[in-house]
Amino acid sequence: MEYILHLAILVGIYLILAQSCNLTIGLGRLFNLAHVASYALGGYVTALASTELEMGFERCLISSALVAGLFATLLGGIALRLAGDYFAIGTLAFASIVSSLLINWKSVTKGVLGIPGIPRPEIAGVALYDNVQFGCLLGVIVIASLVILYCVFSSPFGRVLRGQAEDQLAMMALGRDVRLINTLGFLIASVFAGVAGSMFAYYINYIDPSSFSFSEMVFLVTIVVVGSPGSFWGCIAATFFLVLLPEPMRFIELPSSILGPMRQMIHSLVLLAVVWLNRAKLFPIQREV
Amino acid sequence: MDIVPQLLVNAAITGSIYALVAVGFSLTYGVLKILNFAHGHLMMTGAYLFYFFTVEMALSVPMAALATCLASITMALIALVIFVNPFDRYSPMLPLVTTLALATILESCISMIFGVNVRSLESGSSAESYQIGSIFITPLQLVIIGTALMFLVSIAFLMHSTSFGRRVRAMSERLAAAQAIAINSPAMKGVVFTLGTIFSVYAGIMIGYETNLQPTMGHGYTMKALAAMILGGLGNLWGTILGCYTISVLENFAVGLDFGQYSLPAGYKDAFAYFIILMVLLIRPEGLLSFRRRMA
Amino acid sequence: MLQVSDLHLRIGEASILNGVSFSAEAGDSIGIIGPNGSGKTTLFNCLSGFAFPVKGSVYLSGHDITHTPPYARAELGVGRVFQSFGIFREMTVMENLVVALESRAGILKTFFPWSMTSRMIRAKAKEFAAQVKLDGRLAERAGTLSGGQMRLLEIVRALAFGAEVFLLDEPTAGVSPKMKDEVAALINHVQKLGKTTLIIEHDINFVQSFSKRVLVLDQGRVILDDSPENVRKNELLREIYFGK
Repeated sequence: MEYILHLAILVGIYLILAQSCNLTIGLGRLFNLAHVASYALGGYVTALASTELEMGFERCLISSALVAGLFATLLGGIALRLAGDYFAIGTLAFASIVSSLLINWKSVTKGVLGIPGIPRPEIAGVALYDNVQFGCLLGVIVIASLVILYCVFSSPFGRVLRGQAEDQLAMMALGRDVRLINTLGFLIASVFAGVAGSMFAYYINYIDPSSFSFSEMVFLVTIVVVGSPGSFWGCIAATFFLVLLPEPMRFIELPSSILGPMRQMIHSLVLLAVVWLNRAKLFPIQREV
Repeated sequence: MDIVPQLLVNAAITGSIYALVAVGFSLTYGVLKILNFAHGHLMMTGAYLFYFFTVEMALSVPMAALATCLASITMALIALVIFVNPFDRYSPMLPLVTTLALATILESCISMIFGVNVRSLESGSSAESYQIGSIFITPLQLVIIGTALMFLVSIAFLMHSTSFGRRVRAMSERLAAAQAIAINSPAMKGVVFTLGTIFSVYAGIMIGYETNLQPTMGHGYTMKALAAMILGGLGNLWGTILGCYTISVLENFAVGLDFGQYSLPAGYKDAFAYFIILMVLLIRPEGLLSFRRRMA
Repeated sequence: MLQVSDLHLRIGEASILNGVSFSAEAGDSIGIIGPNGSGKTTLFNCLSGFAFPVKGSVYLSGHDITHTPPYARAELGVGRVFQSFGIFREMTVMENLVVALESRAGILKTFFPWSMTSRMIRAKAKEFAAQVKLDGRLAERAGTLSGGQMRLLEIVRALAFGAEVFLLDEPTAGVSPKMKDEVAALINHVQKLGKTTLIIEHDINFVQSFSKRVLVLDQGRVILDDSPENVRKNELLREIYFGK
């Protein structure tokens, strides 16, 4: 039972993380490879705020969201000037710099040792060390996040974001400030990634750079692609599918050194299969004038 | 200040390794128009294959080299056929995603077979350095610089004086026009991709001798090659190679020199490459040495 | 020699080619005109292998080339000259010609620059360059040439390559009026050699001086296939270009 609860909590965190990624990479086709950096920042801000500064749950959560949002604004301001391949490369460079800082800025992040001892959130005086209670808190946050994201997806803003993915020039011709829309999209996605990071830190009670590696980013891309980029419900289904798919392996007697890589390999094979099946329609080629 | 010559030599060593890796990456971008995110991982896998042949199967170095060569060619062709070619005529974003998948698959396989701990190739020759003035250099390091130069000279000859090189340059510049004069693009793409992989596998083997092998080492080298290419201009081979040595110099000097009281922690070495990417992209996206504007 | 039947091609929602059919014998000289968007360049793409029709066929000397890739068609003799200049600007003038000649001769014989074949190729390249008065600029990067010179280089490169069917897409585009005569002279020379030439052009006078036959394309269909004089006089043509 504990195990199923654990899985549910993981799925919950990934639901927020993947859906927010779906907003930029899926709906907007903005190949933002720094999404996992927002996630990391959210986690680390909560870790530091709750341990060093001893701030309460609400403040930590909001701080995480804010810092992630700020990061996105910075990222957007720089990367959105670049087109095509260069954009992905720019976000990748950003993500790598954040990763390098997490590992090397030991005075702040404690490097690869990580930050232990993150407390559980305290609601109305009760610290949620019981996973059922934590699960409920997370559930509320997940539902709130998904509702907000759904509204964003189906709003006129969402439509313009989708429109500029197909034909940026047409959107500009219609008078839409594409740069602003993209930056906003980044901002929203990053804020939710920060929230996911915060909840992750609160759940595991420990944070270190290894949870935010490039493989994690690839995993998010996998979920978005498998769930059909831009599809709100598809992303939810894909999150459940991909997080839970490798779990049955635990019941085969595999050493843990095999389990991790095997999980990644399964994810990548699924990604390849889905991309191959959808190759004609997956990323529409920008129509040239 | 007498640390400077040593730093230059160190820069030459790592720069040579980066250059051998970046050649394949740049040619693949030029001819296939894809950023092969699995490039470093192919290098890593090839190096592990060599490890397998020399250490686990105890073959002699020449035999192991031959076996690795053949295995790498096979690996490159399989990678091309499964992860790149089917997506050729569609959006260029697709190979970006599929090479990411390939990279993860390779890393997972090697992790599972060889474990995540580092492996080292024993060079057998003494690790004693020669001393020339204030510079210390081991025989292996001399081999690295020497063979890299040899390879680069051969590549220069290949690209500029042979019919093969002319075809590659034609395809890199204008694929349609090249096809209009019957340059066989699938065959050429296969050869270029395979050749690039072989060069980087050689670099990987040198890394295995000089330091060690780790399943996670691929990503870092792909990023270095990418940074060098951005610095030198996408598709500009010699710009990229110069970019490799430039990055190497910057890395070694930034970490090696003391700036007053402050000394940059060695861990930040890699971040340089990423920083360079961002700076160049902002200031001069077409690369510092490129004369062609990129059509956005 | 060249038989095109019922080509249909769609890009997304738009129907670009709606049943193009015509045939050409060896040595024919055909001009292709029509308003913008009528499908002329797309037709050339279908003929040279850069686009594939959903319906219809293209036969060259009896071979069905409808779905063969462009480099295979080039080997069969199709020579495409691009509107946007298909020369290699980063390579020298000499290299542009050499790479075309080498493509014919095969990669093995021409690999090393000191082989017999390579030396012969360099000599031939000089001859071809001389034909278009570029023999003094062999070592310069092709990107430094003027528009007219680039066009001449591209056409003579196709000659050097040994193309039999020349698909010339707007050969006078980007060419100064002075150079147009030289381009015209070169095309004449190509025709005298017995090559089949298809020329897309907007300049109907230019077309008239070369073509025994003119195809008028409109909305992806051949609506007229006649001699230049008759086409000029035709009412339908006036309607297409100028409206009723």
